[in-house]
Parts: sequence; structure tokens; C-alpha cells
Amino acid sequence: MANVSVAAEWQLLYNRYYRKPEIYQMKWKHIDLSRNKVACAPFGGPIAVIRDDSKIVQLYGESALRKLRIFSSSGVLLSETVWKHPGGRLIGMSWTDDQTLVCIVRDGTVFRYNIHGELLEPNSPFSLGPEVFQQTVKECVFWGNGVVCVTMAGQLFCVPDFKNLTRTVKLADPGIEAVEDEEDEGFAGMRCVAVIEPQYTMSGNVEVLIGVGDGLISVDEDGLQPLAVGLVPGPLQKMVVSPNGKFLAMFTHDGRIVVANMDFSQIFIDYACESVLPPEQLVWCALDTVLAYWDDMLLMVGPNDDPIRYFYDEPIVLIPECDGVRILSNTCMEFLHRVPDSTVSIFKIGSTSPAALLYDALDHFDRRSAKADENLRLIRGSLPEAVEACVDGAGHEYNVSRQRTLLRAASYGQAFCSNFERNRIQEMCKTLRVLNFVRDHEIGIPLSIQQYKLLTASVLIGRLINSHHHLLALRISEYLGMNQEVVIMHWACSKITASLTIPDATLLEILLDKLKLCKAISYAAVAAHADKSGRRKLAAMLVEHEPRSSKQVPLLLSIGEEDTALIKATESGDTDLVYLVVFHIWHKRPALEFFGTIQARPLARDLFVSYARCYEHEFLKDFFLSIGQLHEVAFLLWKESWELGKNPMASRGSPLHGPRIKLIEKAQSLFSETKEHNFESKAAEEHAKLLRMQHELEVTTKQAIFVDSSISDTIRTCIVLGYNQAASKVQKEFKVSEKRWYWLKVFALATIRNWEALEKFSKEKRPPIGYRPFVEACIDADEKSEALKYIPKLADPRERAEAYARIGMAKEAADAASQAKDGELLGRLKLTFAQNAAASSIFDTLRDRLSFQGVT
Amino acid sequence: MAQIPNLDNSPLNLKSIREQSQRELLNILKNIRGKKCLVIDPKLGGSLSLVIQTSLLKEHGVELWHLSAESIQTECTKVVYLVHARHSLMRIICSHISSDITKGLVREYYVYFVPRRTVSCEKVLEQEKVHHLVTIGEYPLYMVPLEEDVLSFELDLSAKECEVDGDTTSLWHIAKAIHKLEFSFGVIPHVRAKGKASVRVADILNRMQTEEAVNSSDMGLPEINTLILLDREVDMVTPMCSQLTYEGLLDEFLRINNGAVELEASIMGLQQEGKKIKVPLNSSDKLFKETRDLNFEVVVQVLRQKATSMKQDYTEMTTTYHAFGEIIMLLTCQRLGLVKTTKYEKYGANLVYYCRCFEYIEELIHKQEPLAKILRLLILFSVTNSGLPKKHFDYLRQRELLHSYGFEHLETLINLEKSGLLKKQESKSNWLTIKRALQLVIEDTDTANPNDISYVFSGYAPLSIRLVQHAVRSGWRPMEEILKLLPGPHSETKRSGFSSSPSSDTLQVASTTIDKDADGRRSLVLVVFIGGVTFAEISAIRYLSAQEGMAYDLIIGTTKMVNGHSLVETYMGNLV
Repeated sequence: MANVSVAAEWQLLYNRYYRKPEIYQMKWKHIDLSRNKVACAPFGGPIAVIRDDSKIVQLYGESALRKLRIFSSSGVLLSETVWKHPGGRLIGMSWTDDQTLVCIVRDGTVFRYNIHGELLEPNSPFSLGPEVFQQTVKECVFWGNGVVCVTMAGQLFCVPDFKNLTRTVKLADPGIEAVEDEEDEGFAGMRCVAVIEPQYTMSGNVEVLIGVGDGLISVDEDGLQPLAVGLVPGPLQKMVVSPNGKFLAMFTHDGRIVVANMDFSQIFIDYACESVLPPEQLVWCALDTVLAYWDDMLLMVGPNDDPIRYFYDEPIVLIPECDGVRILSNTCMEFLHRVPDSTVSIFKIGSTSPAALLYDALDHFDRRSAKADENLRLIRGSLPEAVEACVDGAGHEYNVSRQRTLLRAASYGQAFCSNFERNRIQEMCKTLRVLNFVRDHEIGIPLSIQQYKLLTASVLIGRLINSHHHLLALRISEYLGMNQEVVIMHWACSKITASLTIPDATLLEILLDKLKLCKAISYAAVAAHADKSGRRKLAAMLVEHEPRSSKQVPLLLSIGEEDTALIKATESGDTDLVYLVVFHIWHKRPALEFFGTIQARPLARDLFVSYARCYEHEFLKDFFLSIGQLHEVAFLLWKESWELGKNPMASRGSPLHGPRIKLIEKAQSLFSETKEHNFESKAAEEHAKLLRMQHELEVTTKQAIFVDSSISDTIRTCIVLGYNQAASKVQKEFKVSEKRWYWLKVFALATIRNWEALEKFSKEKRPPIGYRPFVEACIDADEKSEALKYIPKLADPRERAEAYARIGMAKEAADAASQAKDGELLGRLKLTFAQNAAASSIFDTLRDRLSFQGVT
Repeated sequence: MAQIPNLDNSPLNLKSIREQSQRELLNILKNIRGKKCLVIDPKLGGSLSLVIQTSLLKEHGVELWHLSAESIQTECTKVVYLVHARHSLMRIICSHISSDITKGLVREYYVYFVPRRTVSCEKVLEQEKVHHLVTIGEYPLYMVPLEEDVLSFELDLSAKECEVDGDTTSLWHIAKAIHKLEFSFGVIPHVRAKGKASVRVADILNRMQTEEAVNSSDMGLPEINTLILLDREVDMVTPMCSQLTYEGLLDEFLRINNGAVELEASIMGLQQEGKKIKVPLNSSDKLFKETRDLNFEVVVQVLRQKATSMKQDYTEMTTTYHAFGEIIMLLTCQRLGLVKTTKYEKYGANLVYYCRCFEYIEELIHKQEPLAKILRLLILFSVTNSGLPKKHFDYLRQRELLHSYGFEHLETLINLEKSGLLKKQESKSNWLTIKRALQLVIEDTDTANPNDISYVFSGYAPLSIRLVQHAVRSGWRPMEEILKLLPGPHSETKRSGFSSSPSSDTLQVASTTIDKDADGRRSLVLVVFIGGVTFAEISAIRYLSAQEGMAYDLIIGTTKMVNGHSLVETYMGNLV
């Protein structure tokens, strides 16, 4: 039976089965791992290979030129580049989480490559600093996105995050003497080094474990401390921290593999190996077991029972994954992992679990055997678990036909059970379809289902587009219902970079054709990339398609299309964008050219003027002069004169009035340049004249109360103060009309309650505006008896009536109104009195009815 | 009665908008740890008082200051400026910071711009070399609900900036505010605009929809059916007339600011001489809700009837009603003074007795009455006559206004001329045609039992609201001829957030029944006044909304609540 052959490949370690199916035959040729330095990225990532320069070059066997080659996990060459960096021997090489290859050479220079073998900082590679440069790097220990370097002087330096390559952190001095020993071990004290990733430490910073002598110390930024004194099983030759940062696997000087937790309170494994030579590689296989590799033997040690031994006649590289270990050899890639429980329950020899019976039932069903039904009856009660196990098992399979069989079994079983979650199978199919696509030799990303879930689909898509598998990425994101914008965007940018020879118009069409797939895509971002790639014209064409002005305008500016930017900004109605453009042009162009540009665009001009009015007076004057708006300059001057007046330093009556008047006169002469500004010119002229007179008045009266009041006010003030001659002078000088003169004088006299003078004034001659001003002034001053002197003199009986009404003489008012034979007026008066009464009566009612506590 | 209005009965979920603004502000404060000093631009302070209680701010460790030229005396090391994005305010902030520096004070500065940061303001900070010292943020307060049916965008200078300075920033803000509403309530399918600014706002709104679409597929039917945009410029007559509704009159005499008036403490029956206290005015008060929209003459009568039943209902709020009585008294007296003015306003609106009006204005100038009052009348005459005759125009400006009020008002006059409010007569006025066609002046208005919106001005139906009335009933099309007589272009657009549904091209004109929602709620019309709206106009709109046979609830958006005085004041120069 097929089942048997499946389980035949398994190995038992204590109570757990392990298997290591081959996932790829490597596509590469003539690669000998033993002669190369190799860096493999987890999650089925790429493999970087470079000749190990500590080994002798075989004449004719290989090229003398040293090349860094990057392969996919299936051994397809992705890129290659010649390695000719200075700085000495390559010490450390590893992939970071975002799949950049970090290479650290002896003098502490860091070269970073992308997956296409291109240097990320081709001109100025990052350096770990002068100290490292002096001491030179001895060893590098990498984790996710960081590295700890041990220098020859026994100092530790750490790059906490390659994503922001800005700082190197020097860790505390472990205080180990750098004694060169004959075995080129660097120094005798420091035996082995391991790191605990920042995410698993208390401090949030990386901690370095160092085997010193027969103990262990932990070093971080702030200091060092010995670890588990007395519990460490003797001098350590090699150690490695578990993927969750909680356990430590060690190889001791006496050939034992020991696994303990960090404070050594529990020892999980203590296995004595045949050899005391430390293994070449020591890695964790998930969290269950530890693998040790010597020359031709791979030893898997678990908590109990005898270890499993695998033998290899070629060199291998162990690549730890979250759920197992990939084993890379010269010819193939295997994946060593624990057989999942669901798979065990189906394929274990002699298994009678429901899942196994269901799988068997499908076999019978396919062969049209009635046994199928029998099997189903047997497991009726536990059918859902059986289906679940088949679905789960399918997920863990690399073999497509076995996936299919398992899924068919699940689907067959599901038909007989009503309460199974319907879309479980469908989802698994989707996931497997994605996995099978990326596992394909050409793509070469052998993700297990568990790795895929940990990595997430969006990261996977990110990796696919990074390695330029755009179509697949697009299909997958479409298939999974994810946003395709990222993919299309990346594609468009890569396309631009790669299409140096395609003419702009053609490339634009190619790009637009794809960009329209995605509705909200940012054309501006693509255009920005085009610009960066030196294709300004293409950028301009692309940005035309950007619907969001807030994105479009800044980009237009950056590609030097200021005039288009100004048009677009104006169209958008967003004045902030217009300002952005205006400032940009202002900054960039000579003043006259700038003036010309904004003069042609009213909105830009107006905004500029409104800004400049606040902060750039002189510049604004230049602007108005340049466009011949002399009256605007005049206005500015005139305003400045007011500013001078407001200035507290310019105390009234001081000679500072001189400059004020000069400014106003200058404004006046500018106003008079054009006919249309006659009004303004006249006003300025009079203003200057007034200021002069007021100034004189202040000098003669020694009272600083005239400047900046109006002509009318000046006259009033004069009368109030008794300077009648001065008042008349102002009247004549400014040709103040008789009418206004009367009003002003009457009210001024009433203000100082000079009733005698008022009466005299009324008798000077017949007032040109009648006696109403006299009446009103008296009433306003609440002087009824004075008012009564003038009311009878009012010519119009209607006015008389209203005047009487205002001082509350209802009867007289009524009489006058009836004399005027004005019914409407009479009615209105009545209403006035009535409404007054009504209002007060309401108030009275309210006051009576409401009780005001504590309020009178 | 709190100054923050109760919005429970709003036809639109305005409460959520206000709550969001509250949250956003508190988040800003929360993110700045520890005690801090919040410095608010005084204009913004008014708007904020409608959004959040000061007590709530204090709970978040805030010490409140108003932004002024004087530097801030505080112990706090963190200073948070919350300001409108205006150039003039930047200088004050800069001077604060540099004065701190000279004093050797080390503080953290945060500048939060309302409603968003702008390049030009940051430019000022850069030029003054303080940009690197401040953390810049935004507080996107684009609108504030004043009432259940009134939203204010708090752009008090909108009209002046657009017409005099050519700065159209406010138009973008209005469009943004409406677009924000659309994100909450769906794309508004019908847009009708009249006036230059309105048509531009409609245009910007459409652009915003293409740039950043409201996804209406997951929103259901839009809650607002129609948007009517009106420029204040289209009808400058109405705000220049004295409002005769109760609330309008309160505003004319006592100035309602952000839903409250300031009164002498003595009026409130409190014995604190000379102290002013704030009295909130909004529909949370039942009595005010009933009376606010009535013609003032009627209010007196209504109150007399109410007086008897009041004791039972309002005993616990005696002081308020003490104040109420006093306010009524005050208004009654003031109203008497207004009679003469309204008479001349009426002449103006009817275009009769021009000479007498002119003499009246001249006399007011001679008596040196407040300039705003005179300008109001002048604008009224200028607008209805399409300008003043050259003889009078020159005489008034040169001889009378400047001589009486000072040369600093040259700027005011130029501003008014630029905006077309006070200008030389150049063409024949078409006001009479408009007046007749829209039946603006109605004799024998029964103010007690009104049958037309003209009751709010005792016989004059506000032009703006007539337009709204027509726009709601039948759209612009039947009245194109009249619209052409009014300033500015007009537009009518149909928009749709649903790409799938075929656009039914028949305007929903007569389909009054269809517009009713399933739950019996009437669909909504949002009327936006660009340049401000008066309380009397709002009363008229409420009157329309309450009519039988009206298929819509009307809600109002405005750049700011205005009246003739405040409107004229925005055009006054800032020299003095």
C-alpha cells in the first residue's frame, strides 16, 4: 500500500517521527559548498555563494576572479557580481529580514547587496567605525536584522538594525585578554559567542553570550554579568540560542551536547557524543531537537532516547527554519522536520485513526469497492476530525499528487458530514495553490505552510516583486483578494529602471496600460521614480495623469515644471498649493522674472500680495513698481505713515510728524500720477494738510489730543476747548459745509452744556438747517427745558410732534400730529406709547409673579 | 442653559461631527504629556466654546490663554498654540518665542493650525528662524454646529478676502467642509449654485470627489439630497436691512456671538456692577426656541400670554427669566430708535424718495453716528440703485465720510468700492424688476400669522431666501432670466457617487413623495451661504421648512453668522 511507503521514509526519535523529503535537485553546476562561503536566507530565501578565500584556489578548476553569486533555493542563478572590495577578508555574510545581503569584511566595512547583486550604497559603504577599523573584525554573529561583531581586540560592536544604518553600538568591554594563541583562535579566553535577539531580552537590546574559560558571561550595552555560575557544564566549544530565545544548546569541551534554559535551572538534553571535536555546525531544528554536523555525519539529538544519525558524503549547510531545518548540499535541498500529527495519524503504519480510515475509504471508493462505505460507517462519529486531519495533512505535503489525494479524501468525507466548516477545504486549496506556485523550480521559494503563515502573504508578495516576479505577485494578490497597488507600483518603477532604451511615449503607453488596473494608484509616485531615473519628460507625462493635485503639484515642482505646477495648483482651488508654487518660484527665479510670472496669474498674484503685505513690504513695493501700479505703492507708503503714527516712540507733537507727512506727500504725488486716483490723491493731500494743522494746534494749545482725529472731530474739540477761531480756521481751510458746521457746533456746545452759547448761536442768524439740531442736542443731553425753547420753532409740525413725543409730552405731540393731519404718524405715536407701556407691563407682570430669592 | 447647543433633534447627525471635533482636540492634548499651556487665538476661542467645555480642557492639565501680543506668563514648559492659519498671527507666536529665548526660558512649543497647516504660515516661522523650535500639527476643525439646523464654517472674513484681496482660501475650506459632510452622509446628488464664489465651490467640490472619492457604495442613500450654494454678494440688500425678528433684533443691538450675548450683570439680577456675563441663546431653551423666529412685535404679545403659565414651568430658572424680561425691555426701547431707520430702509428697498434718503444719511453723518450704521444704509442704496449717482458718490466719500470719520477710512472706502458694495452708478438698476418678479416687497404683512417669509422684515421678503424657495421647489431652470439679473454666474449639477446606477436625468422636481425616506423622515436640503447669513434669514428658512407641503428639511451652512454691522466691519481697514 501507498501508505506504507510514505511512513517508510520516517525516522523515529523517541516518540516522534522525523522526515527529510528532498525538495529540490539543485539547478546549479560545479558548486562545491566546502570551497565556498555560503549564506542562506530563511523562509526559503536566496543563497549567496562566494569562494572562501581562506582556501587555496584550484588552478583551472575555477576562475581566479572572485565572484559573489546569488541563487534561489532551487539553485537557479539570480545574479552574480565580481567581488573586488578592499578591506581585507570577508568575515561575515548573512541575509537580513528584508532580504538584503550583508557582507562584513575585516576592516569593518559593511557592503550591502540586494537580491540582484547590486550594492545598495555603491559609493559610500557603511563602516562599523574607526575602532573596529583599527582592531579588525574577527567574527560576526547575525540575527534577524542585526549583527554583533567581535574584534581581534576582544571588543564587541553591534549594529542593532540594518534598516536604519545610522549607528553602531559598542557593547560593554567583556574584559578578556587578547592573547594570541597558536591555533589562530584569536585569544584563549573567548571560546564561543552567541546572541539573544533584542525581542527576547528584558532590556530590549541585544545580549551577547560568551563562553569564557569554563563559565559563561552575558554582555550588553550597559555591562556584563556572569551567567549561572557553577552550573555551566565546563568550558564550551560551541553554543546556539534557540529560536524563541529561551534555551541554549551547547557543545562542551568533553564532547557533550547540553541543552538548558537560560538560567540553567533545567537541563533538557545531555548527550555524550563519540567525538570531542566541536561540530562544524550546531543548529536548532525548530524547538524540539538539536542538530550537530561533523564532516560526514549529521546527528539529531532529542530530549530522550538515542539520536538519529544521517550520513552525507558531500558537504552540507544547515538552514534553520521556524519548523525545521533545510539541508543544502551540492546537489539537492532537503527539508528535515517533524512529521505533523495529522500526517502521522493518516500514514503511520497500521494506523486505524479515523483519518487513516477516511484516506483508505477514498482509495476503496476510487476502486469502486464497497469497503469505502464500510470505512465511513466506522468513523461516522469522528468524521469531522478525520476531514480536518486530511486537510491539515495536505497542507504539510510538498508532493502535489499527495496533496491532491488528501484533499480529495477530505472532500469525500465532507460530503458525509454536515457540520464541517465549509470553506476550510477551499482555503487550504487556495493556500496550497499559492505555495505550489512559489515552490516551483523557476521561482524557488520552498515555503512550508507554517513558514508561509508566519511570513504572511503580503511579505511573500513583497519578496516576489523584489525578485521581479511581478506577474506571479500580481496573480497571487488578485487571487487572494489583496491590494494590487503595491505590485503594480513596483512593477512600474522597475519597468522604468529597466527600460532605458524605450522612448518616453512608448514606455508611457506600456505603463498606463497596467497602471489603470488599479484605481487609486499614485501616478505621482511613479512619476517621481521616473524623474529619479533621469527621465524627466516621462515624469512630466505621467504626472499629468495624477488626479490628486496635492501629489501632482509638488512633483511638478521637483521636475522643474513650475508653470504647469502653477496652473494645476490654481485649478485645484487649494491656495496652499498655490503658495507652495509661488514660494518655490520666488526662491528660484530672479525677482523680475518672478514678478512677471505671478503677474500673469491673478490668484498667485493676489496671494503673494496678501502674504507680502504682512511680511515683505519693501519687496512688495518693488513688485508694484515693476508692474507699474504706482497707486499701490502709494497705499503702502501711506500705510507706513500710519505705522509711524502708531509707534509709541513717535510721541505726539514730536518732530516725528515730519517724516509722517513726508511719506503722505510722497504717496500723494504717486497717486496723482494717474487720473483714476484723483480721489486718493485729494485725500492724501488733505490728510497731510490736516496733520500739519493739528500739529500746529497741539503746539499752540500744548495739548496732544488733535493728531489723528478727523476734521469734524478737530472742529468739535476746538469748540469744546473754546478755540473758536481755530475751529473756524479749520472749517474754512477744508471748506466744511454750513450744515455740518451747525451740527458740529450745536453738539459741541451741548457737550459742554453751554446753553447760553447755544442760544446765542441759534440767534446768530437763521440756522440753515432749521432748529432740529438744537432740539436733538438738548434732548440727547436730557435737558427738556432747553429743548422746549427750540421745539416751537420747528417748521414741520410732524417734527414737532416727534420731538414732543421724545420728551414724553404726549398731549403736545398729539396736538402737533393732528395739526399735521398725518394719521399714520398719529397712529405710530400711539403705538409707541402703547408699546412702551406694554413692555413695561410685561416686565411688571414678570416681576410680580416670579419670586426672586435674594434678588431685588 | 449651556452654550453648547443640544443637537438631539437635528435632522442630520451633527452630534457625531461635534463629538469628533471634541475627540480630535482631546487627542492632541493627550499626546502632549504633562501640564501644558494652551494658547488660543481669540477668534477660535469663540468657535471652541461651541465644541467643548473649558472644564474638560482643564481636566487634561491645560492652562488656558488667549493669544495676544503680550508674552505668556506661565510655569508650564510646554506651550501649545491653537490658531487659525493666518499670517498675522504667526508674528505674534514668533515674538513670544524669541522673547522666551532672550529671557533664557527653555520651552517646548507646539503650533496646531486650524483647520490645517499651510505653507505660507510655516514660511513665516522659517523666516523668523523659529520653525525648528516648534512641533507643527493640525486640528481639522472645518465646521461647528451652532444649532440643530445651522452649521458654521467659522470663516468670518471670507467675503472680504475673496472680493477685496482675491484670496480664495476660504472657498477651498468650504468645499472641504462639505466634502467632509459627504464622507459622513453620502455624496450630495444635486448641487445648485449662484454667485461667483458658489460656482467655484461647487467646482472644487467636484474636484475633491474625483481626487478623493467618497465611496458611496457602502453608505446607502445619501442623506442630503440637495446642496444650494449662495453668495452673499447675490443679495447684499437683506443683511443691510434691520432684522425684525426677536433673535435678529437681539443680534442687532446686543451682538450674538457664537450663540451667546454678553449682558451687564445687573440685567441678570446679579449685583456685580459693571461686570459682563455671557447668556447662551439656543434652542435648548424652550421659550427661546418658540420665540426666536417670531417677528418682534408678536413676541411681546406671545410673552404676555406666556407670563401667566410661566411660573409653574420655570421657577427654578428665575434669573434667566428676569433677564428675559429686561432684555425685552431693552429691545423695545432700542426698537423705537430703529423705526426711522427702517423707514428709510424701506424707501431704499422700494427705490422711492431717493433725495430724502440721501438727506437722512447726510444728517446721520453730521451727527457723527457710528460709521457702520451709515455704511449699511449707503450700501443698501448703492446696491439697489446699482451705484450712487456720481455727484453724490464723490461728495459723500470725499467731503463727508473722510472729513467726519478720518482719513484712515480711505481704505474702507476703497475696499467697499473694490467689492462693488459702494460704487459709482454706471448702469441702470434692475432692482425694480427683481423686486417685482420675486415679490420681495409685500404690503399688509400679517406678522402675527405670517403666510410668507416677508414677515421677518415686516414686509420685505429676503431675496436670498426667495431664491432658496425657488431653488428647492423647481431648481434654477424656470428662473434663469431673473438669475441673470443678479451678480455672478449660476450652475446646476448632478453628481453621483454610484457609478453603477444609471443617472435618472429627470430632476427630482415634482417628486415630492419619492423623497420621503422609508422611515418617514424628510430628505434634506443643505443651504450654504458664502459670506454669511443673518438670523432673520435663518428664521425665514425655518418658516419655509415648517410649511405644509414642503418636501424637505432645510439645514443651513454659513461661513459665519453676520448682520449688517459685522459685515461692514469686515471691510473696514485695520489701521485704527
